[in-house]
Amino acid sequence: MTAIRISGGQLYDPANDVDGEIRDVCLQHGKVVAEVGPEARRIDARGMVMMPGAVDIHAHIAGPKVNAARKLSPDERRNDPVDRTELLRSGTGGLVPSTFITGYRYSLLGYTTVVEAAAPPLAARQVLSELRDTPMIDKAFLILMGNNQVLFELIRQSGGGASARLRAAVAWWLHATGGYGVKLVNPGGVEVWKQGGGNVNSLDDEVAGFRVTPRQVLEAIGGAVHELGLPHPVHIHANNLGVPGNADTTVETMRTLSGRQAHFAHLQFHCYGGRPGGLPRSRAPELLDYLSSHPELTADVGQVMFGPAVTMTADAPVSALLRDLGGGKWLNHDTEVETGCGIVPYTYRAGNYVHALQWGIGLELFLLGQNPWQVMLSTDHPNGGSFLSYPRLIRLLMDRAFREDQMRRANQRAIRRTALRDGLDREYTLNEIAIITRAAPARRLGLRDKGHLGIGADADVTIYHDRADREEMFATPRYVIKGGEVLVEEGDLRRADEGTLLCTRAAFDPEVSGVLKPLFGERYTVAFEHYPVRDPALREPARIVEAGT
Amino acid sequence: MADFGPVTCAGCGLLCDDVTVERPNGDVRLQPPCRLGVQWFSERLRRPAPAPATISGQPADVQTALTRAAGLLRRSRRPLLYGFEAATVEDARAAVALADRLEALIATESVSASWTGAPAVPLRGTSTATLGEIRDRSRLVIVWREDPETTHPRLLERIGFEGGASSRLGAKRRLLVVDDRETTTARRADLRLRWARERDLDALTTLHLMQRRLRPASDVEGELVALLEHINEVPHIAFVYGGGLTNGAGGQRRALALHELVRALCHERHVVTLALPRGTGTTGAQDVLAWQTGYCPNVDLSSGHPELATATQPLAADQEGVDVALRIEGAQARLPAGAAEIALCSAPAGADVDVSIRTAAAGVEAAGTAHRLDGVPLTLQAPLAGDAPTAAALLTRLLAEIER
Repeated sequence: MTAIRISGGQLYDPANDVDGEIRDVCLQHGKVVAEVGPEARRIDARGMVMMPGAVDIHAHIAGPKVNAARKLSPDERRNDPVDRTELLRSGTGGLVPSTFITGYRYSLLGYTTVVEAAAPPLAARQVLSELRDTPMIDKAFLILMGNNQVLFELIRQSGGGASARLRAAVAWWLHATGGYGVKLVNPGGVEVWKQGGGNVNSLDDEVAGFRVTPRQVLEAIGGAVHELGLPHPVHIHANNLGVPGNADTTVETMRTLSGRQAHFAHLQFHCYGGRPGGLPRSRAPELLDYLSSHPELTADVGQVMFGPAVTMTADAPVSALLRDLGGGKWLNHDTEVETGCGIVPYTYRAGNYVHALQWGIGLELFLLGQNPWQVMLSTDHPNGGSFLSYPRLIRLLMDRAFREDQMRRANQRAIRRTALRDGLDREYTLNEIAIITRAAPARRLGLRDKGHLGIGADADVTIYHDRADREEMFATPRYVIKGGEVLVEEGDLRRADEGTLLCTRAAFDPEVSGVLKPLFGERYTVAFEHYPVRDPALREPARIVEAGT
Repeated sequence: MADFGPVTCAGCGLLCDDVTVERPNGDVRLQPPCRLGVQWFSERLRRPAPAPATISGQPADVQTALTRAAGLLRRSRRPLLYGFEAATVEDARAAVALADRLEALIATESVSASWTGAPAVPLRGTSTATLGEIRDRSRLVIVWREDPETTHPRLLERIGFEGGASSRLGAKRRLLVVDDRETTTARRADLRLRWARERDLDALTTLHLMQRRLRPASDVEGELVALLEHINEVPHIAFVYGGGLTNGAGGQRRALALHELVRALCHERHVVTLALPRGTGTTGAQDVLAWQTGYCPNVDLSSGHPELATATQPLAADQEGVDVALRIEGAQARLPAGAAEIALCSAPAGADVDVSIRTAAAGVEAAGTAHRLDGVPLTLQAPLAGDAPTAAALLTRLLAEIER
């Protein structure tokens, strides 16, 4: 592995309080080192911007839901074929690219780590297979637990708390699947929907047949994750996504988890005022206020970008609503014991009140928030838009004139109902961009070697030309270095890299198998003995991040 | 005393993973019993091992056969990779990698044989579920022109009908069969509707119109009215369908009509479909093709990138000008005269194959991953691991040989 000295670049490394200083960065054996010898390759970065490799804390890139979306919309990729080369596999792009193209395009944007944010544990083998076929990036996945009937049973037995048994079950599930963290999607609501088409409306609605409430699920599983000390806290897609007035539910969810670490996914979709059935309005400022007084909570935004998207979610009742709104394609898949899934291709239109309001609320979350370490960049790819739109989103944050031009094209009634017109002249700095795309997500994921360029960090570096057009700048890094190898140079992929699977490990009492096995026997159609993924080709190699460290 | 198990049986797309195998006096017995499972294990446990490799029917060593196969593929102008009925996910991943390098045509649906119809799901979508969801929620299961008792013998048991794992719905569920044939499944049905296949499209469309109240029941035959009444009596319904509905001309339209009916019904109740695939390995191979290329079931890589092949017609090897076919764990197709064939199969490859290499039988001699008919990925174990290479390993070696 070649040693590299990147010299003379302007370094943005907020985790180490480096804000645009001219520095050399030295890389050797896949890590950032203090010095390299004279034989090291020298990359002249004078006039360029250096940042750690970017980290996507919330995207949908692998697993049965993503693959079903590929099958549902072959027409969507027809105009975006990608040729095979001597180095690279062929594939197709579009909003839901094939696996190899997903890896290549993330790498071309300067991303070196991506988290698949919602995978059914039952489908872990497929998720792992797809991630093995997603090159160039390090990757991890979160397992869905918010509608798991076996866990409901354990929660009910414990009277709603995070019992030792529940903690062991959560750790067992991560061990069995290779998952990195725990995701709760509309806790309780998906099970209710599968039972008969309804949903839960409040945190205290009971899930029929299980005598548990969403609040108990949040407390019990959120508590278990917290007590296990998993590197990433519980990752929550709150109840009532998209429903006018859902800000109350979101705040109540935050209160329920108060004092425990938690990450809220795509907060933009959970910031609405108004009444169910009516038009939404923004309550982003209140949510930001709550966040700012609760440093144990973080969020990613889930910005919507005008144009085509593909909504894909375990929150199947939301998909059923979108199906009826648009009348277009819809795919539903119910996974026994664990979760649901809905997919609806969707277009966000600038002239549409709701879409423009969603766009504006996302920008409010970014621009009104005082702590970029708490509010991270995402489009909930591909729900709010493709990850390929990140450079444009960064320009919206960094370039007020561009933002105002885009605002003028959006539904004005909606924009008037946001704070965007209230002299909101904030422009993100490069340091803040480095926080919301690198330092904060890596820290929140518990990835100590990522998101910064201190000595001992992973040698994941992105180098940009310092262009006035920030969209162009962030769309075409000059170099992308991962693990000390130059993967991208001048917009071309120069080297194929498999990337590394990131997993976590939490100790658990093996006796929990004796608790889980009969519950599996009652509910699953897969034998308990055959549920865990053991195949070394899927599980290894992996970087294990120990819980409690 | 079981010789081995519990293991996953790949005798059909159900991939039952609770199977124990006994081999008294050379026979094969399974618990739970299954005719297809016995047949599947018997074929793999009792057949004499073919030669590790053959070239033009003559025994050869594996490396020589691989070199010959690589030469044929390297010179090919229009290679085809097909089969996959008994392939693992690992086999399919290696196959798509090779197809990409060869700029080949790759087909997971039947080639020059009975056609399973163009996929209807990409047109409008559908609603599906895993077996456990159907078992624990569907009070009415409608089997549409399929005979799972023959093709997937434990399906009804596994979705909670008599003899199966207890469904929490108890005895309140019913099996309705739409079929004019006297099948084993039809004989088990609680309710039967016996119209001919030609009426399927009209029946499904009429049901849809009735459901949307666009056609009054008074204009419709009693059978259809009764069917809709049965549907409207229960909150959860599953439709089981397959080639009986989708095969042949008009199959895509019939499948679309089913999915549109399901979608309309979903406004008032929870309705799902379950498709019965052609081969055990087909579901997994199609999933792999979709994630690696973006398309399935058949993909043409001859332009250097994936293109969806055969949207509306069965794939015909002769019309495609195929000159070399690489068959992977599947049945032999009709190929154009003069086309060379390479077979990587655990089963005997056939005498007229140019190059054959015997593979380890996944689920007996080699481990692997397979996707159940409802998409659930499962491990195939290797209770009697052997020395033969897997198709995946051979495909990887073949790729290396071609790139050398």
